[in-house]
Amino acid sequence: MDKDMAIEVRHITKKFKIFYDKGHTMKELVLFKNRRKYEERLVLDDISFSIKKGEGVGLIGRNGCGKSTTLKLLTRIIYPNSGEININGRVSSLIELGAGFHPDMSGRENIYINAAIFGLTRKEIDAKVDEIIDFSELWDYIDTPVRTYSTGMYMRLAFAVAINVNADILLIDEILAVGDARFQEKCFNKMREIKARGTTIVIVSHSLEQIEAICEKSIWIEHGKIKAEGEPKQIHKQYLEFMKNGYIE
Amino acid sequence: MKEIYAYREMIFSLVKRDLKGRYKGSALGFLWTFINPLMQLCVYTLVFSQIMRAGVEDYYLFLFVALIPWLFFSTCLTGGCVCVSSQQDLVKKIYFPREVLPIAFVTSQFINMILSFVVVFCVLLISGKGINVLAILCLPVIWIIEYILGLGITLIVSSVTIFLRDLEYVLGIIAMAWQFLTPVMYPRSLVPEKFMGLFLLNPMTPVIEAYREILYYKQIPELRTLGHAVFMGVALLAIGIVVFSKLKRDFAEEL
Repeated sequence: MDKDMAIEVRHITKKFKIFYDKGHTMKELVLFKNRRKYEERLVLDDISFSIKKGEGVGLIGRNGCGKSTTLKLLTRIIYPNSGEININGRVSSLIELGAGFHPDMSGRENIYINAAIFGLTRKEIDAKVDEIIDFSELWDYIDTPVRTYSTGMYMRLAFAVAINVNADILLIDEILAVGDARFQEKCFNKMREIKARGTTIVIVSHSLEQIEAICEKSIWIEHGKIKAEGEPKQIHKQYLEFMKNGYIE
Repeated sequence: MKEIYAYREMIFSLVKRDLKGRYKGSALGFLWTFINPLMQLCVYTLVFSQIMRAGVEDYYLFLFVALIPWLFFSTCLTGGCVCVSSQQDLVKKIYFPREVLPIAFVTSQFINMILSFVVVFCVLLISGKGINVLAILCLPVIWIIEYILGLGITLIVSSVTIFLRDLEYVLGIIAMAWQFLTPVMYPRSLVPEKFMGLFLLNPMTPVIEAYREILYYKQIPELRTLGHAVFMGVALLAIGIVVFSKLKRDFAEEL
């Protein structure tokens, strides 16, 4: 893999098995063999793309086109049926914020747990914890249990941890709706700042303006295939036209 | 391997969370770690030295030094099988080396067992049986072997259970049968010759024997017993690693 590449995706195909009635128990496996019928749905069909280090890339497309699946493949939560994904560097994903938060533990303890899940060592977390608390603006609540937080506070804390883990590659799925308008802007600025430091960013979003503001490239996925890729403004224009008319003029 | 080391902080924090949270809300809290094995000891002693006399001197000690290590292993079987599926929120949402979950589970159970050994030592001293310091020095060796064994079995059952949910319930029965087929409650000398082969295939047989040699007979365990235990432990761990890494890619989709 090329040294200045962050992500290389080569010919990946992903199928999901959609079970009509899925049996997990032994009885069901033995007795109702035919009931375990399933349909294979091709979600990604031979997709290839590559992303340079420090580049910002937006994935766009209609609901169910495979963009979130692509992101999950990049996070390595799921794996492709065929093809190859090469990744250079530490990945942090802002896909599901606050996974692993423990409601009975304080905000501070949860920072430690959550950051550990992202693969940070104790030393690294010690060095970051103040920055994380500052970013979340939860100074007065940081030592109270997370279950007492409002949804907004919860998301702010989760976002603060995820964005401060010093990843080389940041994967973001539709999450810029965190907190109030002012906090959203803060998150947005923070993302620009870390991108300026050389972090690679991949965003899935329906907000085309956000992508245009951060990314140099858009990849448009339609029915599991790449329909077009290139400069965001141009691609988005084609995409919007297509969504309106069903074809590109 | 390197990656698991990089996630060591996650292992620590999961272990801490488990140990801290285990008895939260119960009045006696952490004391349950000690009360549980003591109660079991009472029941077994009542049955086997009063009702069905086993004819073993200091039977309660004979049993107790084997029962504590056995409980660790059986928890790996019955509790370890859900250590991945019970964390499905994490597994489905975040990437981390999946091995972290079984490692954390076994480690926290292991620490629990080590703490229970405080009770074992107390019982040995109070009863007047005493301890052989030289033999005790061998105890960490057998602890490590049992840890490896526990990890191996947990890797297997935790990954297979995700694809075959029945295993969770079957394992309760297996654990019971396994306990009776391991010389926990009786000496190995009671086993008929024709079954001996089967008993030697049981990885827990040499482990339990080693504990008993150290704590009950107050001897340095025979090298043959230790070697046998090491071989079984390493073999089981190897199988565990292979099975787990074959299955782990599909965890998120299956859950």
